[in-house]
Amino acid sequence: MTTFLALSITGLVVGCIYALTACGLVVTYTTSGVFNFAHGAIGMVAAFTYWQLSVGWGWPAPLAFLAVLLVLAPLFGAVVERVLIRPLYGAPIGVTLVATLGLLVTLLGVGFLVWPPDTTRVLPKFFEGHTITVFSLVVDYNQLLVIVTSVAVAVGLRLFFSRTRLGIAMRAVVDDPELAALAGTKPERVSQLSWAMGASLAALAGVLLAPLQTLNVTELTLLVINGYAAAMAGRLRNLPATVAGALVIGVSSSLVLGYAGPQVVNYVRPAIPMILLFIAVLFLKQERLRAGSLAGLRMPRTTGLRQSVGVGVVFVVVAGVVSGQLSPAHLAIGSQGLVLAFVMLSLVLLSGYGGQVSLCQLTFAGLGAYAMGKTGGGALGLLAAIALPAAAGALVALTVVRLRGLFLALATLAFAQAMDQIFFNNALGYGGTLAIPRPRLPFVDTADDQVYFVLLAVVLAVGSVGLLVLRRRAFGRRLIALNDSPAASATMGVSPVRTRLVVFTLSSAVAGLGGALLGGLHGSVSPNDFLLLNSCVLLLLATLGGLYTPTGAFLAAMSYALFPELQKLVPELGQVQFLLTGLGVLALGRNRYGVGGQLADAGEKLRALRLQRVGVARAAG
Amino acid sequence: MLRVDDVEVRFGGVQALKGVSLEVPDAALVGLIGPNGAGKTTLFNVITGLEKPSRGRVLMADQDVTSLPPHQRARRGLGRTFQRIEVFSSLTVHENVLAAAEARRSWGKDEPEPARSASELLERVGLRDVEHERVDKLPTGLLRLVEVARALASRPRLLLLDEPGSGLSTHESEALGDLLVDLVRDGRSILLVEHDVELVMRVCQQIHVLDFGSIIATGTPDEVQRDPAVQAAYLGTSAA
Repeated sequence: MTTFLALSITGLVVGCIYALTACGLVVTYTTSGVFNFAHGAIGMVAAFTYWQLSVGWGWPAPLAFLAVLLVLAPLFGAVVERVLIRPLYGAPIGVTLVATLGLLVTLLGVGFLVWPPDTTRVLPKFFEGHTITVFSLVVDYNQLLVIVTSVAVAVGLRLFFSRTRLGIAMRAVVDDPELAALAGTKPERVSQLSWAMGASLAALAGVLLAPLQTLNVTELTLLVINGYAAAMAGRLRNLPATVAGALVIGVSSSLVLGYAGPQVVNYVRPAIPMILLFIAVLFLKQERLRAGSLAGLRMPRTTGLRQSVGVGVVFVVVAGVVSGQLSPAHLAIGSQGLVLAFVMLSLVLLSGYGGQVSLCQLTFAGLGAYAMGKTGGGALGLLAAIALPAAAGALVALTVVRLRGLFLALATLAFAQAMDQIFFNNALGYGGTLAIPRPRLPFVDTADDQVYFVLLAVVLAVGSVGLLVLRRRAFGRRLIALNDSPAASATMGVSPVRTRLVVFTLSSAVAGLGGALLGGLHGSVSPNDFLLLNSCVLLLLATLGGLYTPTGAFLAAMSYALFPELQKLVPELGQVQFLLTGLGVLALGRNRYGVGGQLADAGEKLRALRLQRVGVARAAG
Repeated sequence: MLRVDDVEVRFGGVQALKGVSLEVPDAALVGLIGPNGAGKTTLFNVITGLEKPSRGRVLMADQDVTSLPPHQRARRGLGRTFQRIEVFSSLTVHENVLAAAEARRSWGKDEPEPARSASELLERVGLRDVEHERVDKLPTGLLRLVEVARALASRPRLLLLDEPGSGLSTHESEALGDLLVDLVRDGRSILLVEHDVELVMRVCQQIHVLDFGSIIATGTPDEVQRDPAVQAAYLGTSAA
């Protein structure tokens, strides 16, 4: 019984912290309509800042605590709202998602840059050494502080939203911003305030969580992300349900730790919040098809078959010529870029054409590599590398395909994170690796790196041309139609669910094949190759490159492959892929068509100019 | 062809439709008119399955379709256009119609070649000249015709048209009227929402007038025009 109570108290403490982060999310989401994916990262940076002030610079702990919570965090939230969020009001979910994900990876980059992971940083617990005993149960002051603070915040928020003029104004803004504006409330001010409050709550969660473990940039970020599940329990609106959800998650995780076997404790327990998040998302009602919700996108014109085949052939020839000139190290980078570009084609198909957000493409790539490794390669291996992720993709799709936008993103995030914890860590082992053979082909020595490079170029070229062919055929038109207007598509007899199911499965298969080829390139894979955060970076880079064209995928993948080289040039920049991707997204994220789209546009203008010239020449002749 | 039975829709505390019933017979052109906000588009959404009624039924060819999702109603022969235009903005005019013809081929039987039937339909609505333009380059009036052609590409037996004539020139509007008459002659049924009263009076055999979510009058164009309740709804005088 004592064990049970002790575990429950530990769980309650963690649950309270989840409640704080979840309440912060709900406050920002309900008031501004933007789900802040960077919430966890804000908590992380706040915890590190608190460490810097109190431990690093020796400020008194209470002063550092107040400075972070009441000055720095709210200021940061307000600035983010003004600079990043305000210009995006009314933008489609895809845009706001990319913006806040961009902020997430930027903050990760900042974390790695300012607080390099080579030093161990420990935050002392609050009131270290002080305990009280309740019914033979020893509770330390730190735990008590967390519980008391959380209750105070929960009660405070409740009173704020029901009793104060400002709180009621905030609720009014949620219901109808225009009406609230007519009644004298300034929606921008209110939304800015909600971002300040949200950031402050994220910071509080981060600072309270940090003393319970060593400070680690990614772990702390992901821990705060666990609170997302609680926010979903309250359907991102209801604060009491959110708090209840958070407590259930905290206590159940803790009880599993105490009573379950080591397998479950190691692999399943860290994934519990994500499993619950997935389940919470599944219980959402199907989104109604709405007329009048046009995305307003204008995809670049697709190139003709002859032209794309021509470009593909030239691409392969150039790759063949270049491969002879490259050093082994550069060959490796180039191959990495080519194979990642192939993985990203799956995103062009799913997100670019199909308009669905996915944060789990690397998970499918990992499944492909796993299947290839376990079957020992060969034709069977390739087949398995396509079939296993396709089957997994279909299964995921069956459960999430009725969701769109934000909830689809959250479901795929939960899936990716749970798979990291339960499957990859288990199947490949923590820090373990799985050997992945390269595909064997007649008359071609794929073991030779130069040959493999050319092979990857061929695969990418074939994949890109295939994608463009698909785009120009009936299925491609159906996808674009569904993306442009779901309501109109349905009224012409297209089943939205079935179409999305097909594209999700197809895209998972492409990612899986890419994963198998990626594994073959390096000879092995480890759980770290398929992390959720890397999937996020991939999606962001693909968005930057332009989600609507294979060219965009290629540009994005090449920059991803070049990151390690950049890292060697500027080792002090920390995890440079996060910082650069994040800053890139923050700078360019508002251009929905990315660099690839810009290139396509330029091509279009050139074409128009040429046609005009031909016309003039004819008229003159 | 279509029967709407005592349909009620609530948005929060507002009753958008209050027990609306109407019928569209086979091969008939029926008009649905009423002031802005009367509930015409909401009724269209209920019939096509985009809106769930809190009460009432929708029957097509005597079969209850109230619980079917939109795409299954479409496969039973229901097509529509939208008041707020819903064209596929990344596609060309031809591709917009082609997508519908292809969809029809995927679930229909013995369908004609989609590309050819798309071109024929564009010819019929008078958009052949712009068929290779991207739709985002077209003026609103023509977009409505794209929607009409797209809806026809599904070869519906019942067509719901939501203000197809707005944004059209007098000449274009006349051509549209002729097209509608032709379509009905081919055996289709049409329910037409239109603000161009002249067009409605010219082509419709029967007209329902919707006001504040209720049908206030039903009859031939002449009967409806003389109806005091209709005059009150349009001119704002007391009906008494």
